[in-house]
Amino acid sequence: MTSRRRTWLAALILASIVFPGCATVHPWDRDLLAKKSMRLVPLPHELAADDHIYFSKEGSAGGMDAAGGGCGCN
Amino acid sequence: MQLSAASTAANVRQRLGAAACLLLAGSLPAAAQAPAPPAWQLEATGLLYGEQARARVVEPMGRVTRLYANGRALSLGLAVDAVTGASPTGALPSSQVQTTTGASGRTTTTTTSSSILPTHTFEDLRTAVDLGWVEPLGTMLSVTTSAHYSREQDYASLGGGLKSSVELPGRRITLTLGGGYNRDRVFPSGGTPMGLAPDSDPRAPGDNPKEVTTGLVGLSHVVSRRWLLGVTASESREQGYLTDPYKVVSLVDPATQLPVAQVTEKRPATRTRDDVLGSSVYHLDHDILYVNYRYYWDDWGVRSHTLDLKLRHVLGVASWVQPHVRVYGQAPAWFFVYGLTHGPPLPEFASADERLGPLRTTTFGGTYGFHVPGSRGEFTLRAEFLYQWLVGHPPQPDETASGGGGGDDNLRRAIAAGDNGTDDGRHLGTSIGTLLIGYTVPF
Repeated sequence: MTSRRRTWLAALILASIVFPGCATVHPWDRDLLAKKSMRLVPLPHELAADDHIYFSKEGSAGGMDAAGGGCGCN
Repeated sequence: MQLSAASTAANVRQRLGAAACLLLAGSLPAAAQAPAPPAWQLEATGLLYGEQARARVVEPMGRVTRLYANGRALSLGLAVDAVTGASPTGALPSSQVQTTTGASGRTTTTTTSSSILPTHTFEDLRTAVDLGWVEPLGTMLSVTTSAHYSREQDYASLGGGLKSSVELPGRRITLTLGGGYNRDRVFPSGGTPMGLAPDSDPRAPGDNPKEVTTGLVGLSHVVSRRWLLGVTASESREQGYLTDPYKVVSLVDPATQLPVAQVTEKRPATRTRDDVLGSSVYHLDHDILYVNYRYYWDDWGVRSHTLDLKLRHVLGVASWVQPHVRVYGQAPAWFFVYGLTHGPPLPEFASADERLGPLRTTTFGGTYGFHVPGSRGEFTLRAEFLYQWLVGHPPQPDETASGGGGGDDNLRRAIAAGDNGTDDGRHLGTSIGTLLIGYTVPF
């Protein structure tokens, strides 16, 4: 399987997960979702530290942020 | 039954009085019914980072955010990195003296053991400042603008970003679009090496530009009362000086496989990096499970998979614990080498930087979070252990060229040895410990 096909397959699988159906989540059902711990990034300071650590120790980058912090460590 | 005029008037007065009380109670200022929403938030973080016999980092960070009632927010962040210790030069282990130019100037590195990677010592101080502004546009759309500047001994970065998020009707799906631009400068200590030339060659003075443009598209979806999913894809294009000016590549004698000389490394001047990140947050009966998976690829040939798992277990009203596991694996860049054969013409690009090699990382650790009684602030304390290693191994001193089977110019047989499951060589792994202390308080 070529790299391009793998990418499209991964996107298709992710899309099928993200759009599983038309279930309704009413505002009064959002008690758990309203918790700070239910965010995709519950501890932003940990994410910032991890981005810095792994950017300087590995060959990959990317994730949640649009712009890097600017670092000569890699 | 007939009511007299007096009793009717009294009845009406009572009803009017009760209605007035209800109206007054309903119109009481919010401050009298609930605590005032915080106007400020402070985040203070301290990172301690230590590699076994290598680099050590102390990094205090702080962020102050002004929260406005209409949803606007202005934040200012400051960070200082104090880095000391040693970093691998990229040279192969040798019992001979090897000299390289490090980030702190010319350094002579003597390796007395053929099983220890040569390193050069360095120290640096990085300071960084950033500003962020969140502007809501209506009830469904918000725009975040950010700018940053950082400066270290041999590197400066100036950049900005723009990110916009819109909630679709029903508030189950949020779309995010963003972009950023960095204009960095690299000014290596002692000048810029020519690349793939002897380390002792003259170096060019002055700055080297580096530009980074990033685009991002994201989507988050409330699947159910307990489940939030997110997908983010981003691409960044780098252009300019992307070489590490302090790394070298060993030149290996084809007969003995021993390093006999070294040249500075050289990388392409452009790089396009892509990644897709899938995130899931699921609320179990009491605990919360976080799963993140990222696939990354770039035009240097680096491909990586990252899986990150966290489970937050609530211990009580005011405390929780969160174990964490992360596994990472990457395929090497096409110009990664352990060493080059001494004699034949050198390739156009080559780097022995292990961060571009067939690298693996595992992380284990956990975070403990707690509130101090009577305080609105939350403390977090995280301790983690990382182990990094390369698949495959550098050529052993007692190996011969024929033993490698191929005589490949870039010694990729070492990589193949690891990938074929016949990895009988040394793992020149690195052990890393980190401690992160955080305090967040609204006021």
